[in-house]
Amino acid sequence: MTDQLLAELRKMRSTRTNLGLLAGMVALILLTVLLNGFIPKAHELATHDNQHALLSAGTSAALFAALIGVMSITSEFRHGTIRPTFVVTPQRTRVITAKVIASLLMGALFGLVAIGLSLGLGYAILTIRDIPLELETGHVVWLVIGTPAMTAAWAALGVGLGAVVRNQVFAVIGLIIWAMVIDNLLRGLVPSIGGYTPVGASAALVADPADYVLAAAAGGLLLIGYLVAFVAAGAILVARRDVT
Amino acid sequence: MSTLTNLVNRPSDPSLVELTQTLPRGTGEAAVVRAEHLSKRFGDLCAVDDLTFSLKRGTVTGFLGPNGAGKTTTLRMLLHLVEPSAGRALVFGRRYQDLEQPATQVGAVLEAADFHPGRSGRDHLFSLALALGRGAKGGHWFLERERAAAKRVDAMLDLVELRSAGRRRVGSYSLGMRQRLGLAAALLGDPDLLILDEPANGLDPEGVRWLRDFLRGFAAGGKTVFVSSHVLAEVAQTVDDVIIINKGRLVTVSPLAELTERRTGAVRVRARDAHKLQVRLETEGLRATRLDGDELLVQGAPSARVGEIAFRTGIPLDELVSESSSLEDVFLELTAEKPS
Repeated sequence: MTDQLLAELRKMRSTRTNLGLLAGMVALILLTVLLNGFIPKAHELATHDNQHALLSAGTSAALFAALIGVMSITSEFRHGTIRPTFVVTPQRTRVITAKVIASLLMGALFGLVAIGLSLGLGYAILTIRDIPLELETGHVVWLVIGTPAMTAAWAALGVGLGAVVRNQVFAVIGLIIWAMVIDNLLRGLVPSIGGYTPVGASAALVADPADYVLAAAAGGLLLIGYLVAFVAAGAILVARRDVT
Repeated sequence: MSTLTNLVNRPSDPSLVELTQTLPRGTGEAAVVRAEHLSKRFGDLCAVDDLTFSLKRGTVTGFLGPNGAGKTTTLRMLLHLVEPSAGRALVFGRRYQDLEQPATQVGAVLEAADFHPGRSGRDHLFSLALALGRGAKGGHWFLERERAAAKRVDAMLDLVELRSAGRRRVGSYSLGMRQRLGLAAALLGDPDLLILDEPANGLDPEGVRWLRDFLRGFAAGGKTVFVSSHVLAEVAQTVDDVIIINKGRLVTVSPLAELTERRTGAVRVRARDAHKLQVRLETEGLRATRLDGDELLVQGAPSARVGEIAFRTGIPLDELVSESSSLEDVFLELTAEKPS
């Protein structure tokens, strides 16, 4: 198992894919923080909820983390490297497990970078504009711990999604449409189930102040449920389907 | 109890493993590869149909058949990439997925393009070498594993003459370089059996020759090669035995030498009443195929006998040419559509 994990980590380090995802993530977070930090007037930014929006911009890393997982499996199908991978390790579940663990690690790393960036830059902007911090310490601690936990989960979920879909383009587009459109619509139109969507469940881990958000433990368990469901479905399908 | 099961299922003593593999089974030596009534259906298509064959240790066996004959599917069933619909595929007496560390026993080159274009050749080998786990022997620390893997990877790059290109991205490699990289990947575990699917596709003559010499050397060391091709000539100088399949079914298993002996040669005749001659030749048990117009291609007899039959039947011949067939003709004939 360690052998497969080392191999997966090596694969992740040896293409520019994750570097590109990291660059995209950093750029998006910088943009979000700068917009949220300088556009609102000082009294608007003095509110609890707007400060949460500013400092928690790093949570958008979840989408990039999910792409780490999606790419780690779909690029193998796309480029055919799945064949040598499975010839060396015919126990396919072992390969999927290694990809899940490697993605968890890489996803957590992305989350740490992301939340460090938005917290650091956001706090610097508040200080420059002489606006007192309205978020209590516990809230900030949740952001620091919750974000990498959430991004790790999304990265693992991405492996499951990619294993189910296999086609890289479909998996990436499907993920983006779900996270950016469908999930938002669901939470906006049907707030009663807003806390139960994958994105809604994730919000519980980062102390999101929205009304529909579940308690942290409930949201965390639900997110783990989504992760397990996707990974299990992916592992079962990969084990059953022929590699042609 | 569990210790006992472990002992029975996977003998840890290498000599014991060797013993079970070389024990006589039925006829002589145990087969390195054995397909038993192997079949694969994809929906309505029967890609492989009741295929039974085995491979002897220390030989190079050509796996031949036209495109779409089921060669690739068969090879993938041997490697547990494709699940058989019926029958069994055994490698060293076991299903591939039941082998402990299969890559130390079997190496495979399946496609010329199974690489991530953005990854360097060295990193491609590196990830496979780590997954292979040979580096774990002698050390438990990650660094020791990485170091052992690096050593093996560099040795393989040297072997296939890719050391200087190793750190370049595979996207910049020529087809020949990719083929050699694929071979290096297959050899990482120092396997006893090498499976290659159409390895000569796209290789220049120099590359084909390099590969031929390599495979001969590999088999000379007592190891086994199973190489598929849709062109007999490509492997004729490399293989000892041939297994020919067509439309998923076994056509012939024979030593290459025997196949060579089947080169009967054909006779081309031009006659004014080609149809009558054709009927007459066929009643004499010869195979006559109508070419265009008044020409026939007769197989199974020398030109003298064809001439004699024509004379006895009273059909004047305009032309009688003896054409010695090539090995390729034999192959084409074996894999041709059988008239129903």
